[in-house]
This record gives sequence, C-alpha cells and structure tokens, in this order.
Amino acid sequence: MSTGWLIGSAVIAVIVAPLIGGLLRGIDRKLTAHMQGRIGPPIIQPFYDIIKLFGKKPMVAGGAQLAFAYAFIALIVTAVVFFALRQDLLVVLFILFFGSLCLPIGALSVKSPYSQFGGHRELLQFLAYEPILLLAAIPIALKTGGFPIANIFEHGQPLLPDLWITFIALLIVLAIVMRKSPFDISGSEHAHQELVRGVVTEYSGPYLALIELGHWYEMVLLLSILGLFWVVGGLWWLSIIIALGSWFIMLFVDNINARLTWSWMLKFAWGAGVSLVALNILFINLGWM
Amino acid sequence: MIDSLVGLAILFPIITGLIWLLIENHKARSGVIYVTAAVLIISSIFFLRQGSLPIEYSPPPRWEWVILVANYAILAFFIFAAVKDIVQRGVSRHNILTIALTVAAGIPLAVFEFAQAPHTPLEVAPTLYIDHLSVIMCLIISIIGSLICIYAIRYMRDHEEHRIHLGELKVTTQPRFFFFMLIFLGAMNGLVFSNSLIWLAFFWEVTTLACWGLIRHDEEPQHIDNAFRALWMCLIGSVGFGLAIVLLWNSPLNTISLAEVVSNGALASPFLLLPFALLCLAGFTKAAQLPVQSWLLGAMVAPTPVSALLHSSTMVNAGVYLVLRIAPGFQGTNLSTLIAIYGGAVFLFTAIIAISQSEGKRVLAYSTIGNLGLIILCAGINTPLSIAVGIMLLIFHAISKGLLFLCAGAIEHHIWSRNIEDMEGIARKLPILTGITIAAMLSMLVAPFGVLITKWGAMEAASGIGAWSTLVLVLLMLGSGATTVFWAKWIGRFLCQSPMPGRAKREPLIPLYHGILLILIAFAVVFSILIAPVYNSVIAPSLTEAGYNAALAFSTGTGFLKSPVGIFAAWPIFIIITLALLIPTLTTRAKPEESRSSYMCGENVELGVDEFVAVADERTELKTGGFYIENTLGEGNLNRFVVPTGIVLLVILFVLAVI
Repeated sequence: MSTGWLIGSAVIAVIVAPLIGGLLRGIDRKLTAHMQGRIGPPIIQPFYDIIKLFGKKPMVAGGAQLAFAYAFIALIVTAVVFFALRQDLLVVLFILFFGSLCLPIGALSVKSPYSQFGGHRELLQFLAYEPILLLAAIPIALKTGGFPIANIFEHGQPLLPDLWITFIALLIVLAIVMRKSPFDISGSEHAHQELVRGVVTEYSGPYLALIELGHWYEMVLLLSILGLFWVVGGLWWLSIIIALGSWFIMLFVDNINARLTWSWMLKFAWGAGVSLVALNILFINLGWM
Repeated sequence: MIDSLVGLAILFPIITGLIWLLIENHKARSGVIYVTAAVLIISSIFFLRQGSLPIEYSPPPRWEWVILVANYAILAFFIFAAVKDIVQRGVSRHNILTIALTVAAGIPLAVFEFAQAPHTPLEVAPTLYIDHLSVIMCLIISIIGSLICIYAIRYMRDHEEHRIHLGELKVTTQPRFFFFMLIFLGAMNGLVFSNSLIWLAFFWEVTTLACWGLIRHDEEPQHIDNAFRALWMCLIGSVGFGLAIVLLWNSPLNTISLAEVVSNGALASPFLLLPFALLCLAGFTKAAQLPVQSWLLGAMVAPTPVSALLHSSTMVNAGVYLVLRIAPGFQGTNLSTLIAIYGGAVFLFTAIIAISQSEGKRVLAYSTIGNLGLIILCAGINTPLSIAVGIMLLIFHAISKGLLFLCAGAIEHHIWSRNIEDMEGIARKLPILTGITIAAMLSMLVAPFGVLITKWGAMEAASGIGAWSTLVLVLLMLGSGATTVFWAKWIGRFLCQSPMPGRAKREPLIPLYHGILLILIAFAVVFSILIAPVYNSVIAPSLTEAGYNAALAFSTGTGFLKSPVGIFAAWPIFIIITLALLIPTLTTRAKPEESRSSYMCGENVELGVDEFVAVADERTELKTGGFYIENTLGEGNLNRFVVPTGIVLLVILFVLAVI
C-alpha cells in the first residue's frame, strides 16, 4: 500500500465517516420507531438536527467544558486517521480512549448534579468496556503476527473463523459505546428520567453538535474495527455486512431491554466480555484456534 | 577520576547532610542544598558521559571496615530506637517486631561475615560495578532527588510556620529532616553502584534508616507508629537479603558478587532459585508490594517532599531496581512467570482500591504501588522488550510521580487539606498550579506521554509468550481501565465549578514551587517526545550489558519506536495530540454573556450563585461530590481479599523456588 493511497484513504475516512454515522443514526431512529409502532422521523433527520444545533447560540455552564468538547471530537478524529493509516491497533485504541475520556471529564467540570451523575456513570461504562477492547487487540495480533492494522490486510485470511469468540465480546463493547440498552446508564435518549440527559445535560447548541458528531465518528470507528474481522480475500464486502449486521443486532437488543444498573454492567462486561477474549487468547496460545 | 566521581555521588551528600546538623544560619543551610544539588546533578551527568561504561571499581580496603562497622551500628540503632520507644510509649506490635526482625536480619549477616567468610571483612572484586542501568538510576536519584530537596527548602519553611502557628512545634527540626533527605540520596547512589552484596545490604539498611527518620519527622504518635511499621516491614526484606548472602556463599558458586550470580543464571544453576526468590522478596518489601503495601500508605503522614522522594527517586525504586537487576538471572524459569503474575495482581488490585480513596496522597501512593507492580510484571515477562519497557517506566514514573507529589504538596499549602473533595473547583483559585497538576496526571494516563508508551510496550511484550501470558494480560488490561477512572475523576474535581462573573486571577508565583514543577513537567514532555533517542543512548546499552538482545526490544527508525510486533509513532502522535488539546484550550473562551447556570429544573437563584430555590422559596446550597464506591471497593472490603492473595502468591513463589 503506497503512502499516498493511505493518506488519501485517511482524508476520505474523515469526510465519509460522519456521513455514514449520521445516516446510521437516522435509520436507527426510523427502525426503532417501527419496532415501537411509530412512523419516526425522516432518515436524514440527524443531519437536520446537527445543522440546527450548530446554528444555535452557544451557552456555557462551566469553565473547562468547551475545551473538552473540542478535544473529544479532535481526538476521536485523530483515532480515525490513525486507523485509516493502518497504524498499531493499540495506539488507535489509546487515542480513542483519551478522546472518550474527554466526555466525562467535560461533564465533571460543571457544577451540576445531573452532569456529575452522568459523568460518573460514563466513567464506569469506560471501566467496563476499555479492558475488553484492549484485550481484543491481543488475539488479532497473535493471529496476524503484530499489532499494526496493516498486518490484518496482509494476513490473507479472514479473522472471524478463529476469532469469533472475541467478536462476540466486541458486540458487548459496541452496545456500551453506542449507549444502547441495557448499557445506556450514563445518559438516556429520553430526557424525562432521573438522569435528565446525564453526561451531556450541560452541553447545548454547537457544543452538543460537536459531541454528537464525535459519537458518529466513534461508532463508525468501532464498526470498522468489527469489519476488520473479514476484510481480506475475495469476499471483502462481507466486512461491511458484518459491521452492519452487528449494528442491527444492537438496535434489536436495545429495543427488547431496559436499562440496568452499573454494577450489573460492570460484572457482565468484566465477567463475560473479558473471559470470552481471555478464552480466545488461551486457545490461540494452546494452538487450538 | 572515577574514584572522585563515586566519592561525589555517594559521600558528598552524606557529608553535606552532616553539615546540616552543625550549622545554624538558614541562608547558609539553603546554600548547602543548592551546592549539593549542583554537585550531584553534575557528577551524575559525568557518569553518563563516561565513555567506558561499565566501570569496575574497588575502593581502598579500609572502606570495607567502615561498611562493616556502620552496618552493625545501624542495626544496633534500630534496636535502640525500638527499645526507647518501648520505654517511652509502651510495648506495641511495631516496636517488638522491629527488634525481632533486626535480630533476624543481623544473624545471617554476622554468621556469614564472622564465621564463614575466609577473612573479615571480605573483599569482593569489583566492589562497585557501574553500568548503564546504574547510571540511569543515578541520574534519577541525583536530578529528581535534588530538585525535590530544593523544593523542600520552601516547603519545610511553610510547613514549620504552619505547625508553629498551630502550637505543635517550638524549635525548628529542619536539620534532622535535611540530614535524612541528603544521606538518602547518597545511600541510593551507593546502592545502585554496589556489586558486593555486603555493600548493597549496607546501603539498603541506610535507606531504611533514612525512611524511618523521615516518616517520624513530625513526632506525633501516628507518625512514630507508621515509621516503625515501615521499618519492620522493610526489615523482612533485609532478612531475605541476609539469607540470600549466606545461601549464595554456601552454594557451588561461592560468591557474593551480584554480577557473577546474575550472569550464571538459575536455568543453568537451579540452586540459585531460592537466593533469587529471597532477593525478590527484599525488592518487593522495599517497593511496598502486596501484602506489605501498608507501610508506604502510612508514610503519607510525612511532609510531602518525603513522599515525593520515597516514590520517585529513592526507596521504592531501590526495590524494583533490584528485581530488574537480577531479572536476567531467573530468565526462563517458573519463578519468572510467577513474578509477572504477582506484578499484574498488584497492578490491578491497587488500581481498584485507588478508586475508593478520597485523600489525594493515598491515591498517589496506590498509583505508585501499582506502577511498581507493572515494572515487576515486566521483569517477570523477562524478554528484551519487557525489560526495556520496565526501565522506561522506571524513568517516566519517577518524573511524573515526583511531580505529582510536589504538586499535591503545593496545593496542600494553599488549601491546607489533602482531601480531594476540598479540591473542588480550585482550578479557578490556583490556575497555574492546577494546570500543571492536570498535565502531570495526564502524563500518567494518556497517549502520547511516556507512561502510556510503556503500557503499550508492556501489552505488546506480554502478548504471545505462552499460555500463562493470558492471565497476565487480563490483569494488565483490567488494571489499566481502573487506573484511568481514578485519575479522570480526580481531574474532574479540580475543574468542577460554576461560571463566575469576572476573570479568574492567577495565583502568585512561588519560584521554589512553580519553578521546580515546571522543570519536571518539561522533563515529562521532552522525554516523551525524545523517547527514541533516550532508548538508544541509555536503555539499549543497559539491555546489552544485562545479556539481553537489544535488537529484539525496540528499533527506532525515523524517531518512531518499533517493537517487534508494533509501532508507536512517538513524536507525530505527540504533535497531533498536543495541537488537538492545546488549540481549543488556549483559543476558546466563553464570553461572559454566554455563561449560564447549570440545569436545576429551572429553580436556580442567579448566575454565579451555587444555590437553588427549594420548598417555600428557601435558598439551598448546591453541592456536588466525587464518587468513591467506598462500600464495594474500599480498603476495608477489599483488603480482606487482597492481602491474603499477596501472601499466597509469595508462598507459591517460594514453593516454586524450592522444588
């Protein structure tokens, strides 16, 4: 892969990722509405929303809030760029984590009970999914001989047959990062709950738009990581099917579950998620997979 | 040349420490600190510039006698101090154990020196062995340690003024304080240069003594108790040290030269396993690993520069230094595997307990114990890559943790509290100090800083080295997640504030506080950017000297850090992330008319007033707090499980060493 091609793909990724992310959000809302017997908004409603938000008057409720809204999106876009440049997967994840951390820190920098509440819960969500995601990089590296994402493309074989256990664990991560039930503990779609809007309660107007945009990038990046499980060979388009399929499972699970407690989430993630990846690593180390 | 350099690094601070006890004039005494700092820093850089590392050097034989006598004098002093404590304050667990363990540590040493050694004192050739690892340690001790001593000039002045104001203190006790601080630096330099295990054991005891003297400095009952606890817990390690010396002398190798023992290796000579396990025990106790972590937490009662010194450049570093030093000796054994698991367990448990801590310094202490656990984990994985990562973490941790403690001390002297809850919103009152502190926390936490680079390296090193590495990886990843939580929520407390009318005012700059902090944060940044050259110039040579193949650790094309399985584009990441953070931080300022009160369901009083309207229009204060999950993750709950786990792991360690 030439350097020019890689840089080109990074530029395309930065431009296209939010379009895909916004579209998926729109389809999400439409499908969810249908599952609940409603008609729902038009599919491109998220774009209308974000454009409107950018046009609103900025309002600030705490000193450091703004900086962290910008840092949130800037770092996640950086992670997307490093992903497109096919860098070390662990490095991509570390940059993504730093970005994700900006959201709770921004929420904690406002003296607001709801925002603090959401920030604390966001940190617990982070505690739940970060180890799974980091650990998931290990079996991939063991199979492809190294952590650079480029290795996966040079590997020549799809990863899913050997790493399906890890893949299942990553679906848990996807549910937490997409803030879908039963893992939507840090903020809910519906403002009239004990959380109000949790971690984003104190963000409004253009800053809320930045965060929404960051979430789109974050979701597309995570779906791309899932797509890596079948990215080579003649059936490369399967990676898109896999990514979209995982996304659809999230919608479905979201609609049949209620929000659960943080301690349940942590136990489930550390128990089921981490054990699954650990088992996969163990099997690879023992030569069984 | 070399003898004078060794003399400057070891003896000079000890002599200036003694001078502190004698002279009275405050200005002259501060001058002594500056001179000592300058001499130590310059001599440590000279060591690095020495073209001919490693250096073997044996001081004249009369020094053997000095060491011999001084060693027993220190042990006798421990007993004297404990007996004095019994007389003054009655029998307690701490002073009885101190006496018992001092005797237990003295016996094997005396048996060896007076009964078994062919002549007393026994000379070992070479007595001192100075390689790149020693020089890295010497640089950490001399540069960071000296900066901490300079900071302490101001800190101790404020500290004593405050105590005099409270009526706790009448006459200054600073001479004793700086005496211990300075001999600490000298003893640490001696420790990292020693090749003779007798010399190493002696300097080991001097650091224990200095640590005891510094913890009990304020002489409240709690301080004295905690000092004795630190003393006896570290003496467990000294017992191990003494036994290791006897075992090594009576083994077929018949030597107490550390370099010779390590180069033989336990894989070829299995009888070395038990001595190695005993030396590791000594290292673990010094580094406050499980189950003796409580001594380092108790040491938090001491003035903050003491904590900074213990955690960054001395004491606990001696423990991990010893483990890294002997790691090549147990490469490839089951002992090594278990050490990796043990380090991982310490890393995870301390990170979880740290979430529950509401006292800032205790969070820092748990973070230290965890990071040392991570270094021990790296030593246990025992590949060239992991050892390189361990040494890097030692360097970066020393910088960041020294800095964090000094920040905590400076904040404490503004708000007179160590509780994180009292730090709510201090970013407004102390913007520069808080800014440096947050930067220091980020340097422990996120890419692109050095500590994160070492986490990345440790993860890559731990992947794919056998089925057991699965467990190590799980401990490492979970610990890494928990670490993030306790730092992030602390940063959140600093920043938590409502918009207030008017601009925030910058706090007055105090040269000895802000100046030292800025130097250290500059170190953290510069070393992170220049990690590739730093690796090439000092870490790769120390790997080669220890017998590892440095080509299997990192390669450093174009300033990137390449492990055999991955790549960290250190400086590009640094530039991108710094721009992503700094540009918004420096350019976005909310205009006053954009400020709003936080959402309180419309019941706010007015902007800039942290109150809301409750029942019958009563104005009620709006309060927020941090989260600690004390019930679930608190010490009371977890220590019941964590301490036995530590003991069990150590028992397994010795079982593995014996069979």
